[in-house]
Amino acid sequence: MKALKISGSILGLIFGISLLTAAGCATKGVQPEKLGAQLWGENCVRCHNAPNPQAFSDAQWETATMHMRVRASLTADETEKIVAFLKMAN
Amino acid sequence: MKNMAVICTCILLFLGGGLFAQEENELTEITTRLNELKPGKSRFMMRGYAHSGLEIYENSSSFVGGSFNPIFLWQQSERLLFEGELEVELEDGQTVVGLEYANISYILSKAAILRVGRFLLPFGIFGDRLHPRWINRLPTNPLGFTHDAQVGPTTDMGVELRGGMPMGTGKINYSLYIVNGPTLNEGMVDAEEGGQLHYANYNDNNKNKAVGGRLGILPLNNSSVEIGFSGQRGKVGDTDSEYADVSATMLAVDFSMVKNLTALNSVLDVKAQWNQVSVSDASYISPEDPTGTTEYTFENKSNAWFARAALKPAYVDNAVLKNIEFTGRYSRMTLAEGAAWATDQTQITFGFNYWLDWRTVIKFAYQINDTAAESDHGEGGGRTTGLTGGGAEEAAGGHGEPSGNAFFVHWSIGF
Repeated sequence: MKALKISGSILGLIFGISLLTAAGCATKGVQPEKLGAQLWGENCVRCHNAPNPQAFSDAQWETATMHMRVRASLTADETEKIVAFLKMAN
Repeated sequence: MKNMAVICTCILLFLGGGLFAQEENELTEITTRLNELKPGKSRFMMRGYAHSGLEIYENSSSFVGGSFNPIFLWQQSERLLFEGELEVELEDGQTVVGLEYANISYILSKAAILRVGRFLLPFGIFGDRLHPRWINRLPTNPLGFTHDAQVGPTTDMGVELRGGMPMGTGKINYSLYIVNGPTLNEGMVDAEEGGQLHYANYNDNNKNKAVGGRLGILPLNNSSVEIGFSGQRGKVGDTDSEYADVSATMLAVDFSMVKNLTALNSVLDVKAQWNQVSVSDASYISPEDPTGTTEYTFENKSNAWFARAALKPAYVDNAVLKNIEFTGRYSRMTLAEGAAWATDQTQITFGFNYWLDWRTVIKFAYQINDTAAESDHGEGGGRTTGLTGGGAEEAAGGHGEPSGNAFFVHWSIGF
């Protein structure tokens, strides 16, 4: 029981520090420089096949990508670029 | 002659004016129709998935499934989204409708989304992202990741803060949540189930709330690798019972990798997850004592894990081969050694999928099950905790359903 409490506390501490560190270290880095097509190819296949841009209308893609931003924790920049690509390519 | 010319000019002007007026009317009508089709800022969309299949066991075979899961999305604004999923399936000859989740997400900032309601818990990645039938590369769920034999939570009611952000050349995603948490089966109704946890509760059985979260790290620039760490802790016993202080601590580690293998003209997709659930020490009524007065205890710690690989030669110059995906998975579940419901199961599943398009798949798989009952209180070899989550889960045994090895042919579609 004690070991569980200690391990839980350590996990929480690591988690908290990681979040704070990550938030502090968050930089634009290379990620925002990518094109929407590349981000579409890289991120969608993490769970499922990359969708056909013609599967949905522009308006539907806006809703679908917002849904994916929530579900797959896409970053805001990724979401904007992916939806722009899908609307352009459909 | 001059009069004829004037008359002809008048006729032409009349006809031309009429045509112009007609074009203008058509343009007005088209403009009106286009305006009617403008989506507006509030948008409704239905997505989801469906599946069905054939399952062949040693002594029986059956068409199963026939289920579909509509997901309703309502985008109220650029910041507010509602999502709700129903599961409609046939079970024991009846149509059963269940609510998988229903929640509202509000985008607070670039890196923070607030979600309230009933939602899929980011405890690892299988329940949160991989469980939909058209995404799961095999017809069955891994051991310990089904509705009725869970090691770790999948859905719950509460509030969550989540988001993703770039970090260096990679990125991270995070989730922190407070939910009702699982409840403890005290074994009062069925002594053999004493010590089990029940997940996905609509009402809490105590004032304590479970706190949990997940941190996902994607260290590479191309998002091809993700490592996740999840944890959840909270009391699980009824407030006014002797189990009031019993708590559960849950941990999970997940791994995901998607890599292009240029030498094989293929895409390799690897997923893995390990879950552990530890319930603090408590004594339960011994199922061996018909008077219900003798108690027994055990180390209430359960584990489940799986590793799955899928190889799809997507870049070969062959119209048929490029749509085939070879899959394999190993999973193992060990439940509370010494408990009446203890079990140690391993499962190997392998097969191939044929993708008709990016979201429609036919799956062929063979599954080998190996079950060893560990309990001194159990009913003998082969006893499991009932994996009746519908269809394919039956192949792992339980509740008198077919068990042992099985062959599956399933189709799934995402929409």
